[in-house]
Amino acid sequence: MQDLKHLIKFENLLDDAANDLVKEAQAEGQYAIGYTCYHMPEVLLNVDNCFSTRMRAPRTGSIDISTYYMSNYTCEFARALLERGIEGGYEYLDGVAGVDACSAMNRCYEHLEVLECNKKPHFFVTHTDVPYKVEDYNVDQVATQMRLRLLDVMHEKLGIDVSDEAIRKAVEEHNELCRVVTEIGNFRKLENPPITGYEFHVISLVSYCCPTAKILPLLKETLEEIKTRKPDPKPWFRARVAIVGSEVDDLDLTRLLEEAGAMVVADRYCYGSFPGREEIRLNDDEDIVKQIARHYMMTSECPRYMAEEKIKQRRDTADRLAKEYGADGIIFEQMKYCDFWAFERPLASHILTEEYGWPTLSIDRSYNVHNSGQLRTRFQAFVEALEIKRIRRNAQEQEVVG
Amino acid sequence: MKYIDPKNFRLKDHIDWKAQAENMKEIAGIVGELVKETDWKDVAAAAGKDAKGLKKRITHEVNLLKNMSPEEVKDLVLNGEKQLGKLYANGKMATVRREWRGIKDTGVDFYEWTRMWGMLLATFSKDLVPALMGATHYRWMISYFCCHSFMDKNTMGLRGRALKMHHELIYAIFRYVAENLVLLMKADEKVGNSTDLSKKIVLFDEMTMSQIMAGFPDLIGIPYQLMPVFLLSEIDQLACMPYIDAIESYGLPSDTCPVPSSECGAVVVDALPHMGACFISSSMPCDGSVMASSYTSRRFKDLPTYHLAFPVRYEDESIMDAAVKDIKGCIKFIEDNTGAKWNWDAYFAAMKRFNEETKYELQKWEINQTPYPQLIGPCYELFRKWNYEMDGGLDPRIISTFKKVDKLMLKAYENKDEAWRGKMKYRAIVWSIPAHYYANFSNWAANCWGVDILVEMESLNFTKPLETEDKEEALKDLSRLYERMVMRRHTNGGYDHVVTELWRQCEAWNVDFVLMYQHVSCKNMATVQGLFEDQARERGIKLLWCSHDLMDPRTVSRKDMRSEFNEFMRTVMKAEPVDPSLLDFEDDTTW
Ligand code: SF4
Ligand code: SF4
Repeated sequence: MQDLKHLIKFENLLDDAANDLVKEAQAEGQYAIGYTCYHMPEVLLNVDNCFSTRMRAPRTGSIDISTYYMSNYTCEFARALLERGIEGGYEYLDGVAGVDACSAMNRCYEHLEVLECNKKPHFFVTHTDVPYKVEDYNVDQVATQMRLRLLDVMHEKLGIDVSDEAIRKAVEEHNELCRVVTEIGNFRKLENPPITGYEFHVISLVSYCCPTAKILPLLKETLEEIKTRKPDPKPWFRARVAIVGSEVDDLDLTRLLEEAGAMVVADRYCYGSFPGREEIRLNDDEDIVKQIARHYMMTSECPRYMAEEKIKQRRDTADRLAKEYGADGIIFEQMKYCDFWAFERPLASHILTEEYGWPTLSIDRSYNVHNSGQLRTRFQAFVEALEIKRIRRNAQEQEVVG
Repeated sequence: MKYIDPKNFRLKDHIDWKAQAENMKEIAGIVGELVKETDWKDVAAAAGKDAKGLKKRITHEVNLLKNMSPEEVKDLVLNGEKQLGKLYANGKMATVRREWRGIKDTGVDFYEWTRMWGMLLATFSKDLVPALMGATHYRWMISYFCCHSFMDKNTMGLRGRALKMHHELIYAIFRYVAENLVLLMKADEKVGNSTDLSKKIVLFDEMTMSQIMAGFPDLIGIPYQLMPVFLLSEIDQLACMPYIDAIESYGLPSDTCPVPSSECGAVVVDALPHMGACFISSSMPCDGSVMASSYTSRRFKDLPTYHLAFPVRYEDESIMDAAVKDIKGCIKFIEDNTGAKWNWDAYFAAMKRFNEETKYELQKWEINQTPYPQLIGPCYELFRKWNYEMDGGLDPRIISTFKKVDKLMLKAYENKDEAWRGKMKYRAIVWSIPAHYYANFSNWAANCWGVDILVEMESLNFTKPLETEDKEEALKDLSRLYERMVMRRHTNGGYDHVVTELWRQCEAWNVDFVLMYQHVSCKNMATVQGLFEDQARERGIKLLWCSHDLMDPRTVSRKDMRSEFNEFMRTVMKAEPVDPSLLDFEDDTTW
């Protein structure tokens, strides 16, 4: 396939947290609000003169200092962010919108504050409470938290207009972004897609890390390009897989999979497009923040939600996406030392295999997989197993037809 | 009305005798195989070695006696022995003998020993058959046979009023354990199968306190995994290993905390009794515990489950509304599943008792903050956790324990007694989560180095008196209490609750150093270790870091914990041990 026009630009944008588009927007007087978790409604960070930037620590090397602070048994993602913060990598931020969802990330935010990793006078870190269930009173709880601990703070510290009109405007723009990314992602459903899993990963990530207004035109252009893009006559991959699990912002993971012959057709992980790129549908009757809170709570696939219906939702979603996107198998992955996914992974991957009938590969991984030989071998073995399975199935089907 | 209502013990059992016979047959088979496969020559050799060891020990002790001056003999007779390390023997589960505490205190100790036996026999005979049969179904039941050894190790070295106080406390702990065991086995489908009792039981996640059950006086709330996992691990250090191994071979990474992983392991090896009208799972205290409930609810699909989940940012009163609604939802759930009705009078009566208990707790702190601390050591710590915090005022008998102990404590304070007679040199507090498999660590620290562990972080949870008049306010207070429960008050809701709070406590207790437990897989605590270091250095506060893995002594053994402690005492405190025989001994297999 011919290279996508903007791919290299997109890749470059992912090389640094403070990328060119972020700097451009800030030079124009906009404020950058960093966030990590899906529990924090991205759209609320794009109100008025603010823009959201999902925090990453690309090209992470040693994380010794953050390990001194947070020990070596804690989430590598949280530690990598802290390390980057200590190195000064988040000095460009104007605020961090934190949620107290897992202890590792909460402590990471706190360290950014305590160790004064950002010296801007108006810099703030908010901590909002996240519920464990999605009852009506929990929706109220999140809406109240968002108003008090986020919007009010943004207004106070940065003078942001947090009126309903401003929020509605942000939702409109957000929805447009979602439509574009979803449409691009839908090409992955095709038998011979005109986009690779890696390319989509890049696209999805830039949509989270760059100011929406700046990245949207480029994404629209890319969508048009893909519409007419000619895939190679024969698919390049040997198997199609859905990834399910904890945070992935490491392009190398997808790269490693593709090198093993797997096309990632569905990205059901934090920082992926499921959830994250669903349009928010608003009505005119209910409080707007409450509607937004509900949207994020309902679509969240985070194991932090412990209620029975959410546990089932997570398994059903993995199954639905794998089917819709024609996956041959599921890779259930977990960030090393993450408690939530550590418990979720063995049980859910067992159930997806035994009850939903999916071939499943269950792995834990570092924040940056680099060129992990162990993972490569496991991916290759999984792809081979899926391939053999498909060949057998095809042969059986032909027998039946014959 | 008597607590626990005696009628509950008399409810009819529906034992499936055929299934019991099958089980016994299986056990007989296992025993048969064991007998067959045992190398009896080895057994005989080991017995011979033991006999030799015994002879050697007796000779040694007789020689020591012979070499003592008349004053030393008199002191031994009156005040007891001073080299407690002699009580341990390599590779043994129990100590070689009980401690000689001097004539008077050995008498007290023996009386308490018999009193404990009497209570245990009386409790188990309330429904003996299921309790006995339970031991053939559940391996963990066997560990409770070592409860007397648990009593001994937690009271080691104590004399006088301190000994009496600790016995009072441990008696109450074991009454709580014994009654819960009898009820568990009576109601369990596999054993007593008393359906009438089962209908009255509401199961709770083990870390959830019972206060909410105070409004349901006709029901029984049982912390589900408490007996098979949590409390067990404090009694028998080896007890949780099979659970941990089982869940790790199922795929759980080994860096997770042994509390939730043992709970999940217990599910996998089918070690949890099955009973109850419903199950209240909870988000407390931490991320791992949240996740463990998905394993339990999958194992017991027929048990209706309610997730009681309080806000984490608990200082933020704007989320109180959600917390109260969650409690209301829980009450309604219990009503719907048991047919019982919430009773405000019963609730308020129990909370008044709880408030009184809190006052007694505060009095203990007050005394321990003075230069003459009195009630220190593991019995105090365990009693506070189980009989005060977890029981939550439900059991009226606890007040009389509090009263007796309080009287003794005040008398001891007036007399300026030493908690460990002639041994006390340093003041310390414990921060972070203590090792379950070394529940008597503070006892060792006192006996070996003369260190007074004045209070633990886990004791300093919530002391606001609970509302006992206004119903809405009462629910708010109940939420506040739950939000600040065991392992939650400090580890959640912001670093300030655990880091800054420590510096406040250091001042209040006037400490020489802080015993900083480093539970290697507790993410909540591990994520602030650097801040502790930095800020302690700035303030000139000494931290004794002592690693452990809560319920898994294979990661860090008791001996390793002692070594870290010894090292600190020698190098940082420049101290001399009070009892050098306790510096180094083997107890890897000791209960
Ligand atoms: S990967 Fe797990 S521990 Fe890390 S930030 Fe996400 S939820 Fe928290
Ligand atoms: S010790 Fe730490 S990780 Fe373990 S249950 Fe307690 S708070 Fe959670």
